Amino acid sequence: MKRNDEGLSFGKALKQAMMGLVSMMPMILAVIGLVGLFQTFVTKEMLASLFTGDPVKDTLIGTVAGGIAVGQALISYILGGELLEQGISMYAVTAFILAWVTLGVVQLPAEAEVLGVRFTVYRNILAFVSTLLVSIATVWTLGVFG
Amino acid sequence: MKFRGLRLLAAVGAAYALFYLFNVDKTVLALHKSGAVLAKILPIFLLVIGFTALINYLLKPKEIASHLGEGSGVKGWAIALTAGIISHGPMYAWYPMVEDLKRHGLKNGLIATFFYARSIKIPLLPIMIDYFGFAFTAILTFYILAASVIQGLLIDWLCRKCND
Repeated sequence: MKRNDEGLSFGKALKQAMMGLVSMMPMILAVIGLVGLFQTFVTKEMLASLFTGDPVKDTLIGTVAGGIAVGQALISYILGGELLEQGISMYAVTAFILAWVTLGVVQLPAEAEVLGVRFTVYRNILAFVSTLLVSIATVWTLGVFG
Repeated sequence: MKFRGLRLLAAVGAAYALFYLFNVDKTVLALHKSGAVLAKILPIFLLVIGFTALINYLLKPKEIASHLGEGSGVKGWAIALTAGIISHGPMYAWYPMVEDLKRHGLKNGLIATFFYARSIKIPLLPIMIDYFGFAFTAILTFYILAASVIQGLLIDWLCRKCND
């Protein structure tokens, strides 16, 4: 197998990458196990029932609920569409669908293990605040120009 | 080889055992769902192994640091944004690659940018447009891109001592 300038063959690079993934497998399997538990015990109906109809409260609730929820982003769009039909504010629905993909309670322990506790705390706090601000800015901009 | 997360895996196993005592059917269902998730992300793992191997084969550690490290500048942000947008699967599937790149000099801000930009899902954009409209999708995408970079800059500022 051809070697690069550092003398590393592609086969060896492949083996190193595989070993890196294998060493992390217990952690990834743990996160997947948590995903299964959350998907089963935290239902769509439970998440939808959290919303109150108050736009300010619901935007916060949407961010928290989206952060707890796990699954395909597509599910959040469907659920978001249903919430809009129920009269839940666009701010809350935007926060919900955005938090669904940007925040993840189930992967926090793994993120902290891989990237450090301090980084994980900072990143998740920033992601939480960003999700709130992006939701508000999006709906506000849509109102002004839409 | 040192395995990571064994304690977390044991804790999740204990949680399953506990749930099994109270609700057998739902716990078995949770196990099935976990199996389905694992089966679904197996191709992503192959992708991650392939990318990591290619990067390590094609780029020297110094080159990785120059593209994604402290002095990477606009190019680094552009790479992190693009990688975030085109990457598939759950965030945790990408941890091995991110950890590997971090060892070679990837800066914290770009990791945060990569993770937040992953909320733009190109294959799902038509569905989002169908549900919420084109204007909403375009505005949200623009703000996500801006927030990704701002988060990266803030993480770099906050995380000056994160690697200590």
